[in-house]
Amino acid sequence: MDDIDAMFSAMLGEMDLLTQSLGEETVPPEALSSTKKEVNYSIGFTDLNESLHELEGNDLDALMADLMADLNATEEKLATEIEGLKAPSNSQPDFPPPPKGLSTEPAPSHISPSSAGSGSSNVSTPVPSAASSLAPPPPPGAKPTVEEIEAQMKADKIKLALEKLKEAKVKKLVVKVLMNDGSSKTLMVDERQNVREVLDNMFEKSHCDCNVNWSICETNPELQLERAFEDHENLVEPLSAWTRDSENKVLFQERPEKYEVFKNPQNFYLWKKDKRTLKDMKDKDKELLIQENFCGTSIIVPDLEGVLHLKEDGKKSWKQRLFQLRASGIYYVPKGKTKSSRDLVCFVQFDNVNVYYGKDFRTKYKAPTDFCFVLKHPQIQKESQYIKYLCCDDSWSMNLWVTGIRIAKYGASLHENFKTAEIKASNSVWTNRSTPSSSNQSTPSPTVKAKSPNQANGHATKPQPGPISQNPAPPPPPLAEVLPPPPPDPVLPPPPPLAAKTASKPTPPKRNQPNNFPLPPPDMDNLPPPPPPPPTDDHLEAPPDFLPPPPPATGFSSLPPPPPSFGGVDHSLPPPPPDPVSLPPPPPDPVFVASGAPPPPPPPPPPPPAAPVATLRPAVRTSGSLKKVPPAPPKRTAPTQGGGGGGGGDFMSELMLAMQKKRPDQ
Amino acid sequence: MAAWDLSVTVEDLGLDAPPVTISVASDLHIGGVILKLVEKTQIKQDWSDHALWWEQKQRWLLRTAWTLEKYGIHHKPLRLGLPNGITLRLRVCFSNPVFQTVMGICRMLNIRHPEELSLLRPIEEKKKKKDKNLAPEIYDLTEVPLSSVSRPCLYNGMPAHFADSPEMEAIYKMLSVTQPPPAPEVIAKQYRPASVVDKAHINGRWLDSSRCLLQQGIQENDKLWLRFKYYSTYDMDPKYDAVRLTQLYEQARWAILLEDIDCTEEEMMLFGALQYHISKVAQSEPQIMSNNPAMDDLDSALQSLEVKMEGEGSSASDLLENMTAPELTDYLKIFRPKRLTLKGYKQYWFKFQDTSISYFKSKEESIGEPIQMINLKGCEVAPDVNVAAQKFLIRLLIPAPEGMNEVYLRCENEQQYAQWMAGCRLASKGKTLADSSFQSEIQSIRSFLAMQKTNSSSSSANASEESINTHSLVSPRYHKKYKPKQLTPRILDAYQNVAQLSLTDALMRFLQIWQALPDFGLSYVVVRFKGSRKDEVLGIAPNRLIRIDLSVGDVVKTWRYNNMKQWNVNWDIRQMAIEFEGNVNIAFSCVTADCKIVHEFIGGYIFMSTRSREKSETLNEELFHKLTGGHEAL
Repeated sequence: MDDIDAMFSAMLGEMDLLTQSLGEETVPPEALSSTKKEVNYSIGFTDLNESLHELEGNDLDALMADLMADLNATEEKLATEIEGLKAPSNSQPDFPPPPKGLSTEPAPSHISPSSAGSGSSNVSTPVPSAASSLAPPPPPGAKPTVEEIEAQMKADKIKLALEKLKEAKVKKLVVKVLMNDGSSKTLMVDERQNVREVLDNMFEKSHCDCNVNWSICETNPELQLERAFEDHENLVEPLSAWTRDSENKVLFQERPEKYEVFKNPQNFYLWKKDKRTLKDMKDKDKELLIQENFCGTSIIVPDLEGVLHLKEDGKKSWKQRLFQLRASGIYYVPKGKTKSSRDLVCFVQFDNVNVYYGKDFRTKYKAPTDFCFVLKHPQIQKESQYIKYLCCDDSWSMNLWVTGIRIAKYGASLHENFKTAEIKASNSVWTNRSTPSSSNQSTPSPTVKAKSPNQANGHATKPQPGPISQNPAPPPPPLAEVLPPPPPDPVLPPPPPLAAKTASKPTPPKRNQPNNFPLPPPDMDNLPPPPPPPPTDDHLEAPPDFLPPPPPATGFSSLPPPPPSFGGVDHSLPPPPPDPVSLPPPPPDPVFVASGAPPPPPPPPPPPPAAPVATLRPAVRTSGSLKKVPPAPPKRTAPTQGGGGGGGGDFMSELMLAMQKKRPDQ
Repeated sequence: MAAWDLSVTVEDLGLDAPPVTISVASDLHIGGVILKLVEKTQIKQDWSDHALWWEQKQRWLLRTAWTLEKYGIHHKPLRLGLPNGITLRLRVCFSNPVFQTVMGICRMLNIRHPEELSLLRPIEEKKKKKDKNLAPEIYDLTEVPLSSVSRPCLYNGMPAHFADSPEMEAIYKMLSVTQPPPAPEVIAKQYRPASVVDKAHINGRWLDSSRCLLQQGIQENDKLWLRFKYYSTYDMDPKYDAVRLTQLYEQARWAILLEDIDCTEEEMMLFGALQYHISKVAQSEPQIMSNNPAMDDLDSALQSLEVKMEGEGSSASDLLENMTAPELTDYLKIFRPKRLTLKGYKQYWFKFQDTSISYFKSKEESIGEPIQMINLKGCEVAPDVNVAAQKFLIRLLIPAPEGMNEVYLRCENEQQYAQWMAGCRLASKGKTLADSSFQSEIQSIRSFLAMQKTNSSSSSANASEESINTHSLVSPRYHKKYKPKQLTPRILDAYQNVAQLSLTDALMRFLQIWQALPDFGLSYVVVRFKGSRKDEVLGIAPNRLIRIDLSVGDVVKTWRYNNMKQWNVNWDIRQMAIEFEGNVNIAFSCVTADCKIVHEFIGGYIFMSTRSREKSETLNEELFHKLTGGHEAL
């Protein structure tokens, strides 16, 4: 036992170190890697301080909010752990009994919320199962011997600590995104976020029309390249390849070619046909083309073949070759050979390269035209013989090739991305209409709020639909729970939460509530992070950013439910789920749900009047399945209130101080 | 119902008299047969004490109300060549349209969606005198009773009639499990189409699906091939389609090996790697092709339970252990080819951790800062191995902002090489040594090394477990181009991307890559377009027709079915006329196949495309017949 304790505290110590380094470096402290190359964490900035100086006021706010969310999440976890060990000094009155009982079974009350949540949503099928699964392992305290319980608690704590360690290692970048109008937004992206989430985040910040063309792009001025990230791609990874002195930029812009293949598949799959036929293509024929090429057992790559100009290694001369695109790569026909497949020579395969548009290559490389594209390993940032430059006769064929290569490289993901993007776009249309006056972030207008919730949902949207359709009824309980901290009254919460997710209208009420909340922050930490999100946003101007993280939330929720042992230890079995109302904790569950829900199920379309209930279920499920995967759950999701104690590094606390000062002003 | 000839020996005509032949249909009852016989023989006497004796079956057909079909008279044995090369002998219906015959066969073999398959006359095998003793084994299924139930009840995941005896089970296993790679000589001996025209000739061999076997001159014990005819695989579910999936894979594999469909060298290597993997996994993992959903559920439930227990049971120290990532350390030699420097290999103490390799002057100094640390994430890893020469090189192309850095690691022996190579492979994909696939990666590298060993020592074609000749995995073209040991690294290279696939996933991947080939799904026929003076080739695909100019070999025109308004066959002059939207009309006569075959292909594909809409399980035979039957449908 002592050993374990020792180990545990050692780990906590390490945790702190990591957290601090996080604060200082902005970047995920890759403690292990000492390589210089690995150091380029902050993008475009030499170090965080510098970058901070460059930030504008509201950027700082946004960033601050992000950071605090992270910090709080970490703290919460920490707090829960500590609770387990010592008497829960932090725990506020809200907290139910559990915390104090150390040796007793259910020290960690926060688990109970989850169970409670599930209980409340009895209606939904999934929930019950989750609850039941939890229940069995640690039959309410009585059965397991004290020793067992203690042992388990320790194990759980260690698990948590490990998780924290992993969490602390999560790489995060502060990214400055350039807008079309020359302005910029700053946001924090962690390595688990994909471009879709970042886009949603940007939608939130920019109040654009959210159409499917919006893209996050990277430019490389040195090589005069640019490309739009695919929505399923991870953003941090490619950005990490940038060099310290890189002048690369991240842009947020509309790129009509991004999903053109799904809007006009005939232009890619029947490109040999005459232009008029293509233009007059009927919708049902387009649909059929998409079916044939994207919905079968294998993805079909457009049948491209043509003469392209290839830049010769190290020279500024270009030679022509007959190239062919196949699912397995780009090939060319060697001189004097036929076009037969077996004679083709492989020019490049797509596993390790990305495709980029070249800008102004006529000047830079004496290319025959300016319609050039490039294939290179994403890590290559400077001129190199390993970069392949190709030049097309016109922009039309360039787009054909680039799109064809993307289809070959990304396959079904592209189609999935498009479907998701479409859903987002249609949702946003709806939202915008309902709330015509989307105000700026700075204004604490209700609309904004509404939006943020939507955003959070945005992730969830997919999942929601499924569940919603199943049983809409249950929703109310979760909502109520969400609100819990401040006004436990069921009245307010019930309807809005659900609506909020899908529609903007419902949101307003929520907003108000959150405002009231401010106080609880510290306590909240103890509780599972979930509830805070919405309120936080209100306080902070930048909240939206946080919302995106949903996935993490899921993780959180996942923790409690999954490991039965867990339940036994930390959080005693979710006590008697039945009375969620009485327990303050319940709220967290719903929160999780909201944020967590998004990640689980992917595709379903978003029904507007989604019921929170639906969301709940998915969340529950997810958690259940995730059980074992504790590390995954990014706490970030849960945007805690700014109040959280300054457990983080110096930098963090400074930031927080700054924030707190700001608040009163507002 | 199609009519066929029945020969009956009539005792009363004398023992030496030739049998009387009457035209019957399967729905004719025994009484009717006797009546016809009486009419035909013109002998007036009391026949009431006569009856029909079925000599082959040694039984009396006494129930005059039973039809011939009910007695199974029209079911005769046929030798059936399957896509996997195995020949079965089984009783099939000779008097119903081939479409129904195929349905019966598929029912017996447990293949869903029989509409995608059909029968064709085999290519005459070149007769070699010495081949006698090599006569392929024939697996006999003639004792299997024919059931008319559309879905046979399953027992242990196979149709009940296969569960009767160990012999039958063995046959079912042959149907549902992939065959080991064929010996290179076997591949070389097979007929390979050398041109599009050759391929077109094969399509002239399809039987007419609206007429019966008898009408098409098929005799008892003749040999036919069962093949997937329409490349429009619908609703493939590995859980229920063990035989179907396996046979489709086999057909695809042979199409690749015999260059029936063209692919590039890179693609061939990948197909080779997948074949290797599939045969390896199929041998090692005893098929749990259980089609029993209840069992499946139980299995998965048990599995998840196991996982759970593991998770809960793991102690804190286990967890910690998992947290401290495993690492490799050893003395290796490194060589960094840079321009102008030819320093050669230098020995250092290497440490492999997470996805990075670092090296130190010596083991003793490994606590401090490494001389260099190389992160392998996103790098390219290639083997450079010669077992005979004991050369074990790992070639790394490591991406850096300035380009790719080339680094060679030299290992001392197989064991070391396998470990470090496996580590590099995983790291290049961003996985660490802690990844669960690490051990299996090591295993697969070692087995590949073993392959190279056996290849270099003896080039025997015996494809036993561990020693697959790489020539068994590629088409004969590459037998000439590369020696087996030259092929090994290339296939190994492709193999690293597929080595972790499960059997089913590997099969599916093979099919996907096959289906993504540009020429996939094309059935060729040589035709003469109206108004044209030369032969051209018509390619029939699941969604379109293409016209290929033989002189150039290029596709000159594409017509999609969804633009098709109607098609007609002029049976008198054997010409097909097709009208597309926009007043596009084409007409052609068929040179290498009967126009009924072309008509059936087109109608068949249109039928296939209707399937997704009507979700019903039952096959719409009538519609198929309408679309493919031609004048017989009228």
